[in-house]
Amino acid sequence: MLEIRDIHTSYGKIAALKGVSLDIADGGLTCLLGPNGAGKTTLIWTIAGILKARAGSMKLDGEEIAGLRAPQIVGKGIVTVPENRLVFPEMTVRDNLIAGSFSRRKDKGGVARDLEEVLERFPRLRERANQDAGTLSGGEQQMLAVGRALMARPKILLMDEPSTGLAPIIVEEIFQIIGQLRDEGKTIFLVEQNAHMALDYADHFYLLEQGHVTFGGVPGEVDHDELIQRAYLGARKAS
Amino acid sequence: MDYFFIIDFVQSLADGLLFGTTYALIGIGFTLIFGVMRKLNLAYGAAALAGTYVGLGLFLTFNAPPFVVFLASAIGAGLIGLVVYYCCFRFTPEAHPMASLLASVGMLLFLEEMMTHVSHGMPHPYPSVLSGATLELGDIWIRGDLLFVFGICVVAMALLFWLLYRTPLGLATRAVSQQPRAAQLCGIDSARVNALTFVIAGVLGGTAGAMTAAAVGILSPIIATGLTVKGLIVVVIGGLGSIPGAIIGGLLVGAAENIFLLLRGVTERDIYVMLLLFLFLTLRPGGLFGSAATRD
Repeated sequence: MLEIRDIHTSYGKIAALKGVSLDIADGGLTCLLGPNGAGKTTLIWTIAGILKARAGSMKLDGEEIAGLRAPQIVGKGIVTVPENRLVFPEMTVRDNLIAGSFSRRKDKGGVARDLEEVLERFPRLRERANQDAGTLSGGEQQMLAVGRALMARPKILLMDEPSTGLAPIIVEEIFQIIGQLRDEGKTIFLVEQNAHMALDYADHFYLLEQGHVTFGGVPGEVDHDELIQRAYLGARKAS
Repeated sequence: MDYFFIIDFVQSLADGLLFGTTYALIGIGFTLIFGVMRKLNLAYGAAALAGTYVGLGLFLTFNAPPFVVFLASAIGAGLIGLVVYYCCFRFTPEAHPMASLLASVGMLLFLEEMMTHVSHGMPHPYPSVLSGATLELGDIWIRGDLLFVFGICVVAMALLFWLLYRTPLGLATRAVSQQPRAAQLCGIDSARVNALTFVIAGVLGGTAGAMTAAAVGILSPIIATGLTVKGLIVVVIGGLGSIPGAIIGGLLVGAAENIFLLLRGVTERDIYVMLLLFLFLTLRPGGLFGSAATRD
């Protein structure tokens, strides 16, 4: 369980997160929706330790983790699948995956087993295991980014816009993977523009608008059309 | 073309290629640091030479054997590289690339001044190995000391490749150089990788400095500028950020330099090397293996 309380993050003088509070419950898919510029990616970077929160608290199973640096956050089991995938383009698919296990490189047997498991899960990565990651298609790179994160044995998986720039049929495939991970009991925090898809899979959702969480709930209990409109366009809708 | 000219030409080419491996090492050092930090460390050549002076100190004070002197030069340069990292790069703000660049220029001048001070600006004898021996291949005579220099530089490169492609540290280094943010998200401490890269580059530079001095049997503080300039020419030709480029660039500069020496004499040699630099900057500014521009 990750409890985020009143997190403030700024870029210089510009405040991007103005007191965000939300919970990421164990063993479920929590989804964060919101229009462009709402601060979704800023929140991911803040949790991941890349950006530093100016104020607020983040507790992982009761332990304060705000202020830890990115490698330490990974050590705590919070692992990010970043927006735009950010694979290592001139490294082989296998080396990309092994890089993902860097935080537990001493556990050679475990890493080898997990590598086999990830390649089992993504047969297309096995086919291309010795190919440079830069030569993969967008969808394959997204699978690689997910596989790389799994190699760290995450307690919580943060996924930032995994559908960006992918063809609809590939997006479908990526969401099936996300659904599968959720069904296996993994804890996932998903940030998505594609609200339709995300609400189909989410156990719980939050709406982030202009640096504030303005709404939260369980899909199905709310009017999806209204929610989706706000997720895309923000609160100040013209209609 | 008469036979003797051809022999001279081939001889110059062979000597240049063998000695060019020292330039290749310096080029690799520049490229490694640029690769992980996207910043140019202009103090690199001077730091390499300062390390070579550490080795020289052992030689002059304790009459240490050549291999100890070479090793001390390499390790010394590695440690000085770490000092350069902490003084010029670690704490300078990311958003101001000029800050670290100018800090490294200051460090270059500082190290040069220190070496001139310690050596009183005078050249000192530096140990060489196999200096009397020659390998005769028909009319081409290969100097034993140059073969030794070549051998050591090749071993240093082989060790580097082993480190980069066969160890977790190497994987981390490649990850940071290709996608620093994602490297952090994999749990890689990029500040530590940067520091280690300065040490590794320093060790390579110290090896190059030691071999440069061993090839002539003399160490002088004035070659700091030469090492810096040659190293930069090598990375311009090879493409900043590319290790194979630095190796090819180093061999090319070594060979070209010796050919210019043969054709135009020692006083004009460096003029033509500089012209080569401008030729590359104009016609192929990304270098032979330019990878710096392809990064997102």
